This record gives sequence, C-alpha cells and structure tokens, in this order.
Amino acid sequence: MSLELDLAQADLVRAMNQKILEIERAVLELKEMGRGLPMVEKNTGAIQSFIRNLKFGVSDLADVLNQPES
Amino acid sequence: MEPQLSGYWNPYLETLDRDKLIRIELKNFREQMAFAKAHSALYRRRLEGFEPGDIRSLDDLKNLPLTEKEDLRLAQLDQSESIYGDLLGVNPAEVTTFRQTSGTTGKPVYVPESYESWQWRIEVWCHILWMAGFRETDRVFIPFGYNVYVAFWEGHYAAEKLGCEVVPGGALDTKGRINKIIEVGATGLFNTPTYGLHLAETARQMGLDPRELGVRRMLCAGEPLPPATRSTLEAVWGAEVYDHIGGTEPCAWAAMCRERSGLHLMEPFFLVEILDLETQTKEVEEGELGVAVVTPLGRRSFPLIRFNTKDVVQKGGHGCPCGRGSMRIDGVTGRTDHLTKIRGVLFSPVTVEEVLRGEFPEITEYEVTVRKERAMDGISLRFETREEMSEDSVKELRARVGERLKMKTNLRFRISSVPLGRLPRYTLKHKRFKDLRGLEDHES
Repeated sequence: MSLELDLAQADLVRAMNQKILEIERAVLELKEMGRGLPMVEKNTGAIQSFIRNLKFGVSDLADVLNQPES
Repeated sequence: MEPQLSGYWNPYLETLDRDKLIRIELKNFREQMAFAKAHSALYRRRLEGFEPGDIRSLDDLKNLPLTEKEDLRLAQLDQSESIYGDLLGVNPAEVTTFRQTSGTTGKPVYVPESYESWQWRIEVWCHILWMAGFRETDRVFIPFGYNVYVAFWEGHYAAEKLGCEVVPGGALDTKGRINKIIEVGATGLFNTPTYGLHLAETARQMGLDPRELGVRRMLCAGEPLPPATRSTLEAVWGAEVYDHIGGTEPCAWAAMCRERSGLHLMEPFFLVEILDLETQTKEVEEGELGVAVVTPLGRRSFPLIRFNTKDVVQKGGHGCPCGRGSMRIDGVTGRTDHLTKIRGVLFSPVTVEEVLRGEFPEITEYEVTVRKERAMDGISLRFETREEMSEDSVKELRARVGERLKMKTNLRFRISSVPLGRLPRYTLKHKRFKDLRGLEDHES
C-alpha cells in the first residue's frame, strides 16, 4: 500500500503548518508578556518543545510539498 | 481519521516517498550540522573546513568524519566547566535530564538532554510504540527500576504521551512483578529479551502459564533480539513481540512494524548510513552487511554528526506491506566491537544465541567463555536445562549442541551442563559472553 498525498491532503498539511506558525508566534508573545513569571516562562518553554515536534512532523513536510520536484 | 491511516502516528510523513524523505533529511542534516558547529566545542573542531552548504546529496556526507564513541569519551575528559565536557550543545542551565551509557565497552558517556531534546526523543518513541500497536487502551507494565539508563524512561514517557496507562515495576522482585502484572491486568510489557524469558520462567515456577496472564504485546530493549529469541518470547507469552534498535547516544533509530519482519529506519528523524564493514566509507547494497552510522536530526543538547553505532546490520529495501516509505534493515547481526577472532575464525556471540534459542528449547540459560589455554584460544559453553535430565540425555544434548555450533561457527566448543539456577540471570544488558583472554594476560 502506498499513500501518495492527494491535493486535499497536501492542502491540509499546508493549513496545519500555518496554524503551527500562528501558535508559535502566540507562544512567543505570551512568553515575552510573562517574562519574569516562572509559571508562564516554564509552561511556554514546554509548549515550544512540542511546537518543535509539530514542525518536525508537519512543517518540514509542508516545506517539501511547496518545493518543485527535483 | 480515515481508517486506512489509523495505523500510523503521522501517516503523511510515514508514507512519504523516498525522494521527499531524503530532501527533508538533507535539509535537517544541514541545519543540525550548522547548529553543532555553532554550539558544540567538539564539532567546532571536528567540522572545521566543512560547511553545511557542502552537503547537497547523501554522497556528500561521506566527506565528513565519523564520530566514534571514543571521541565522546575523550570530549568528556575535561569536566572543568561541565560534566558533559565538550559535548554539550546548549547552556548547562537548559539541561533537565541526565542519562549515561551502560559502560559495557568502556567508561560510560554522560548524555545531557534539554527538555526540548528529551521531548524529541519521546516523539521518536511515540512513532515506535504506535507502529507496534500500542494504544490508549493498553496498560503497560515496565518491570525495572530504570536508573540512569535511557530506554525504559523513553518508553515510559512515550507510552504516557500516546495515552497508555503506565505501571512502573521497579523495587519488586520477579515474583512480585508477575503478581503486579496479574493485579493490574497489564496488556503490554517493555523489557529486555533476557528478562522477558526470565519472567516467563518464574511464572511457570509459580504454577502460572505466562500465556494466560493477559499480555498481548511486548517491546524489547537493551539487548539484541535474534529472530529465534523473538519467536521463543512470542510462543511463551502468546504475545506479539517487537524489536527496535538504538542507543543512549543517538536514541532509537529503527523499529519493527506490525509485519514483524525487519526494522524500519525512523526516517526522517535520523539520517542513517549503512557503510561497508572494512573501510566504513561506502554505502553497502541491499542485502549486504554494514555498520550503521546515525545522525539524529533534531537533538540540540547533545548534537551528534555521523555517529558510528558499531551495530552490524543487513541493509534491506524500502517499501513494506505496512505502507511506510522508510528504508528497512533486515536484521541486526551484532556489533563490530563484539566480533572477535577465535583461533583465526571471526566469531559473533549472537550466533550462539540464535542456535540455542532457535533449536534447543530445553536449554534455558547459558554462558560462553573464551580464554587462553596455553598458546591456543579455548571456547567453552555452559548451559542449564529447563528440567532435570538423565545423564545420558544431557550427554546426548551436549553432543548435538556441539555439532550445531561447530557447523554454525566453525569452532569446537567445550560444553558442560550446570544445575538449574547456577548461571546468573540478568535484568538489563546480559553478559553471557566473556572474553577473558586479554584479562588473564593482563593479570598474569
């Protein structure tokens, strides 16, 4: 079985990537707003680690889908 | 999620075609290389003169030096600024987890993980566990105190993350662990192959049939798992048994899918090269044996570039009935540092395990020792049988074992049997192969 991404799936991957980037920006803003508050700094730091995993699993894929075939 | 996608942790990535997978891996390799050069003193030195932009294809990787375990040990000799020496890739204050290698082959290497890098490892393990069929409905029992060793910690956190209920089983003896498996109704086990066999043996001594304890799935870690041992575990537990391969330094970089035939490289988390055993400069062809060289592509607290795992594997193809596009390895045959010459013959201890577990179910435990006997190397095997046997039967068994080992290894073993329970049982890495030649030379 091979699951070549169809157009709808490729669009979904790109849309998820956009949402990940939005969340990343929002978390950075929150971290900045909460600078000096351990609760905010540590929790936003943890969220950033999970965002990195999402980028690894989704954004890298979106990037390669946006590139022309080699 | 569409039903055909439910077997994947990340279906779009796992079923991606090879060309795209490799493009992602090369991009991440360049980023990881740039990070390592900027943040790790070790790689600033080692990669001087090499630039990430030089890496445009898999062939270009071969120009970069390999990182050997000894390089890591040397880089930790100077601990004046940090116990991690020159290996640390982040500010020391960012390290949240200390792990270390087992020290089987020398001084242990300390491995620092930041929260971010640790979560990256956990994500890799989520892929592994999901691929092996672990789900939210599983209750996973881990019959160990994990100490500073990494695999069961990774398994613990990843199982929790994907929604399993995790029951840690440290600080209990083996009977206590079996009672706990029954008490909580564990459906999954993470253990070393050796300990999986020992648990089953102990259960039988308690009058229990391991097949009736309710364990449906087992993931093995910490030791090689030859096919014969995996089959034995599946038979005695009545469970699906999964293997993976990895190490403390690089993380787990290949694992088994539900087909349970060979292992998938965990792409694109790692860039894995399978290089020829002799020169370690050329990628081997499908079906050939080679040594695995691994670059983890997302860990920043302990960056590694082209780490020589010394694991000897048989390169497989890509494509699998499970639909994953990753490259496969068809078998793990041992480690280059476990291969040794005895009387001029290249010997791998895994061969003995494969013969005994595959062909002699009456043997429950064994130990192989090599020592100098005057000018010659002598190799001996001691074994225990599952049940008491007559003298004649043991004699006949010794002869059959000797014949099979001679055929498989081209070596004649001195073989003896010992009473049940005489040989040590291991929970983590076993030490069934003892090469005393250098040691005894040194002592004399």
